[in-house]
Amino acid sequence: MSEESSDVHQLEPARFFEQVHSFEFWFEAVEGYLHGLDHGHRAETPEAVLAPDERERLITVLCNYCVGETAALEGAGGLVQIAPNRASKIFLSTQTVDEGRHLEVLVNRLRELGVADPEVEIASRATPALLEFKRRLLALVRERDWLAALFAQNVILEAMEFTVFQAHARSADPRTREVLQGIVKDERRHLGFGENELGRRLAAQPGAASRLAAVRRELDPLVLGSFRDTLLRIGGRREEGADLAEHYRAAVTRLGFA
Amino acid sequence: MADFLSAYSVQQWLESAPQGYLMDTEYGHPPGEKEPGLVLGDPLLREQAIRTTVQLVVGERCALSASSGLINAAPDEGSKRFLATQTLDEARHTEVFTQRLFDLGVPKADLESTIRRYANPNLVKFAEVLLEKVDRKDFVAGVVGQNIVLEGMAFHVFEMLHAGSQAVNPKFAHTLSGTIADERRHVGFGENRIGSLIRENPHRKGDVERLQKEMSYYMLATFADSFRAGPAQEEMARLRRETGGASGKSEWQGVDLSELEPREMEAVLSNTVLAEFKKRLERIGLEYQTPVRP
Repeated sequence: MSEESSDVHQLEPARFFEQVHSFEFWFEAVEGYLHGLDHGHRAETPEAVLAPDERERLITVLCNYCVGETAALEGAGGLVQIAPNRASKIFLSTQTVDEGRHLEVLVNRLRELGVADPEVEIASRATPALLEFKRRLLALVRERDWLAALFAQNVILEAMEFTVFQAHARSADPRTREVLQGIVKDERRHLGFGENELGRRLAAQPGAASRLAAVRRELDPLVLGSFRDTLLRIGGRREEGADLAEHYRAAVTRLGFA
Repeated sequence: MADFLSAYSVQQWLESAPQGYLMDTEYGHPPGEKEPGLVLGDPLLREQAIRTTVQLVVGERCALSASSGLINAAPDEGSKRFLATQTLDEARHTEVFTQRLFDLGVPKADLESTIRRYANPNLVKFAEVLLEKVDRKDFVAGVVGQNIVLEGMAFHVFEMLHAGSQAVNPKFAHTLSGTIADERRHVGFGENRIGSLIRENPHRKGDVERLQKEMSYYMLATFADSFRAGPAQEEMARLRRETGGASGKSEWQGVDLSELEPREMEAVLSNTVLAEFKKRLERIGLEYQTPVRP
């Protein structure tokens, strides 16, 4: 990376915008935490011995993560096409490959757990609420509704994944934990882009806030429903769902979209 | 298919590109390299470099739009993941060639107007034909148009520019060598993935072959405009002799580019690209359609 970008916060706003959206910036960012990893974890990280029911629960959870990441991959790819400027297209292309990587490392984790055909397994274990979320997100992208689609993808979906992955990483087996921690680092960058882009646009068009509030009213029940469905399938406690919901709402609020 | 796709994974891409041939580069070249003084100091050479680079930006913007759009049309998860890496490759190419325009002295505020001014209308038409297929989520036609025709063309154009730049402009040659490595991967994916899809959908052959013919025409028309109608051909020929003579041979496809007239260069490039199309299309079970020569 050039010397100029080594302290991006010293740059004037337009140059800062250009710099943090670039391939160069992405390259520097991921190099630090992906170098030397094999499919998101260190090769030497041991595979934990899981009891059969623990393994089953983990597979169900990872299958649903794969649904979320497929939605994110297709959503980010579609957003590249409708982004209103070159810098945003380039940032979203880095996000697209991040999402592709997330999907790949999660599918690989399923294989490591002995799942022979991950695509079949994902289809059979996906929760209806998450599938419906994916359908609605991609409909917003197809309608070329930039603000609403970006909000759904880079605020709602990313905040949901950030919350769930961070919580799961705390109690996960070592390999899954490393995979999730790497994903969370990417999600921070995506959330930052969504917050920055939407924040500037909302300041310029205050009327857009009500449109985003409507999108949130439509999608929040699906987010909460997917938490509930997944916990139900893995025998989780009701309080865990309430905690996740609270953390998710707090994450969206922190981004300024209460 | 799963085995072939494992060679096109994000993991492979990370190890070969960002952690491989792009390591320690800045906008695709070693840090500190500059455009040569000869190009920056001579108005005609500088304008020619800007004109050429604009075509590269236009082509890469089309590739970025097409590869990102094809993710949603891809029928399997492995192809979606490969196309995510291709999307980022194309964005990187857009970024490095845009940066070259800035290095050549195009003010940031004039970027879009410069692109509008110099973009070849036939190249724009070429892009429109492809993006219309992508917009319809036609994966088979989209991949043939993008990964065989567009990428095949880009690969050879970059190789020729690379051969011509190695001695006189190492910065540009280095930038091109990274993009050539990327294009090779994209063409490989297209050829491998689309072969099985054509076998599964033989009824698609006719319209995909027509697409190749139409895109090939606009490609040849772009080459014709670039080599025949450039500004001040005689002056350019003089400069080429001077710079070529000073730097020795620029060999590509068995010819010395520094000794060729523009029409001869156009013929070498067109014939090379079309011969390669023919070979690749036959491998995937399509019949090459000879385009009208502009």
